[in-house]
Amino acid sequence: MKQLLAILATLTLNGCAVWDAYMMTGYDSNEYRIITEIRTDAYNYKQQCANRLMSESNAILISDKTQLFEFYSEQIPRNDNGVRASKNLNAIAQGLKTQYQNNPAVSVSPLFCKLKFASIENSAAVIQHVVGRRPR
Amino acid sequence: MTLDEIQQQLADMATVNDPTFSQFAHDINMIVEQAKVGQLSNADVKEILEDAQRQLAILEDMSQLAFKETLNTCINGLITIACAV
Repeated sequence: MKQLLAILATLTLNGCAVWDAYMMTGYDSNEYRIITEIRTDAYNYKQQCANRLMSESNAILISDKTQLFEFYSEQIPRNDNGVRASKNLNAIAQGLKTQYQNNPAVSVSPLFCKLKFASIENSAAVIQHVVGRRPR
Repeated sequence: MTLDEIQQQLADMATVNDPTFSQFAHDINMIVEQAKVGQLSNADVKEILEDAQRQLAILEDMSQLAFKETLNTCINGLITIACAV
């Protein structure tokens, strides 16, 4: 059976891919909790976009949380895909905060706010799905 | 490529079987439509489309990770069987 494993590793699949998969980072409950909070917050905040002042503080709150997620992810070993995803998610949220910082809250379109929170929510759902299935 | 041609391509993509990408194409087409009637500024549209690119990058990274997770499960299953033999 050990020979079978060796044959699988060397012939059927790329050896590095097998090693990467075997050594991959396991499930982390903190990581899962943060990404679940980001998804939930984005879902709730999306529905408050009509209130422009509340939306401004929501944009700051969610960008702080996506920043936390990026910082948390980047120190997890063997987590290249996770780090890149967390950086992209943070970039989406920071873009919304910047919009409120550079313009008076009343001039930020509620539709833009809704689309940004929807982007954050969808991306967080994709990440949550995969993070939740990490090997335990 | 004209805007009409791009919108037609997006409309075609919106009918493909993959629910993730068909919804994605549909959403982008809706954003373009909203920009055309003045509900979004050009700067807003640029930002939203850049987000779409970021979302695609996230999808790619997460599908690679999901593949590794499946492979990990298979390897551990094979090791368990190997140990039992």
